[in-house]
Amino acid sequence: MSVIAFILFGSVVLLPAAGLLALRWATSTGQFRCPDKAALLPFDEAEPVGLETDRILGGNRR
Amino acid sequence: MINQSQTLRALLPGDALTGGGIDGGNKAALAEIDASCRVPVLFFFLSGLAWLLAGTVLALVASIKLHTPGFLAGWEWLTFSNVRTAHLNTVIYGFASQISVGVTIWLMCRLCRIPLVAPGLITVANLFYNLGVTVGVGGILLGDSTAIEWLEMPRYATPILFISYALIAVWTLVTFRLRAERHLYVSQWYLLAAVLWFPWLYGTAQVMLLIEPVRGVVQAAVNWWFAHNVLGLWFTPIGLASIYYFIPKVIGRPIHSYYLSVLGFWSLALFYNWNGMHHLVGGPLPAWMITVSIVASVMMLIPVITVAINHHFTMVGHFGKLKYSPTLRFMVFGAVSYTLASLQGVASAVRSVSEVTHFTHHTIAHAHLGMYAFFTMVMFGAMYYILPRVTQREWPSNALISLHFWGVALGIVLYVVPMSIMGFIQGTMLNDAAVRFLDVVQFTLPWLKLRTLAGLLLAAGHVAFVINVGWLLVRMFEPYRKPVVRILTGEAETVAAGK
Repeated sequence: MSVIAFILFGSVVLLPAAGLLALRWATSTGQFRCPDKAALLPFDEAEPVGLETDRILGGNRR
Repeated sequence: MINQSQTLRALLPGDALTGGGIDGGNKAALAEIDASCRVPVLFFFLSGLAWLLAGTVLALVASIKLHTPGFLAGWEWLTFSNVRTAHLNTVIYGFASQISVGVTIWLMCRLCRIPLVAPGLITVANLFYNLGVTVGVGGILLGDSTAIEWLEMPRYATPILFISYALIAVWTLVTFRLRAERHLYVSQWYLLAAVLWFPWLYGTAQVMLLIEPVRGVVQAAVNWWFAHNVLGLWFTPIGLASIYYFIPKVIGRPIHSYYLSVLGFWSLALFYNWNGMHHLVGGPLPAWMITVSIVASVMMLIPVITVAINHHFTMVGHFGKLKYSPTLRFMVFGAVSYTLASLQGVASAVRSVSEVTHFTHHTIAHAHLGMYAFFTMVMFGAMYYILPRVTQREWPSNALISLHFWGVALGIVLYVVPMSIMGFIQGTMLNDAAVRFLDVVQFTLPWLKLRTLAGLLLAAGHVAFVINVGWLLVRMFEPYRKPVVRILTGEAETVAAGK
């Protein structure tokens, strides 16, 4: 029973607390402050916005 | 407009295209990250695909047995209950979870902008994982199933899997801690959450159902809480993380609204874990527990609609690119299916609908719409993008890519649509006391044969994909062939190195 009590405690208290801490960390480190910048994170100078990176079918490959 | 084969980006780290100038350093960095992921990503992908083939065979056997019960009837370890259960566990734990981990590894390294750290840790996790699945599925076929849905693997297999999940979670946190890019992309939110949620879900369910089992109907509540959340808090976040990364990356356009993507993540985190008990409508549970789950299911419309809006408006004006990119085809198919599966799930959670559709083939169709049409298609798309980059080789056959896509796309549509319709009719017949049970069974037979046909199409697609992957790996061990790219036409041809 003690293991189950520990799990229930973890589920009811620790997990929501971890979620709140993550949210607090995100706001304090400005994760939500610059959405335009965040949206560009998959891109860089080598693969910038405007560049298609998966053009395989329909071409004239041999 | 500049059209470029993916070969261009994957194989030319700072080479002839730019003369090593403008972005040569960045390309070299990307190539280094991709190369560092090669061994663990290939381990997870290849073992996942091996389990996919095994799961496909088991699925076909189970499907045939539904309308032809005499099929393989002389083999006691291939009874329907064994085969169906082994199918579920091979595709969920052997295939889907392993591909998920492979995609997570690559995405985390790319978005954290660091080469793979602690490769030994993740390789050990893979070995433990495959050992656990082998022992678990073997145990099921030998009759050791726990008979708890989605947790059928015997008790002696699950600790091995749990160790593997824990190692994967530790690796992800270490990578996150060492990241070079401090700002998080929405895909990282989903990935980090998924790798932490799943060991918690799995560990909690194992303890409460197998190690120190709770009693009575609480078992059913915990079972459905786990079974539903493994979809929503493990596979769904990884699928959405992939869509949020690959669609913008392939078409070269940022997501429509980053705010909406963040709203979608946090609303999923808030509402999804209340789901599950709606599967017990009519069961001997306190009504408020079921009602809470139904309300949470309806609230899931918030993340679903935000995701649907974001994906659609990101793609607007770029649908023509579906013709050229296999990754995009699979991703968009998966994204649309996610919306459909979620809306079907919301509808099925409502009491009046659940009373008809539960315990029918409608539920099976819904599960395949979510796990296959959404998640598996997204994972196929991700592999089409990742594999050429980690192997630094081009896909060998466009024909096999097309066969794969059309086989699985037609197969899953032929599976889900008829089964959803048939399940609904089956439910109304079952609820009608004037209809004999045998009549209901006979009504389902033609539809079940159609399901086997759909399974054959899916199997053909899987075989085509595995052949293409095998061919790609053979190429990996061949001498390097330097690509020559004509930028303006997008044509790419290869010439032997040194020529």
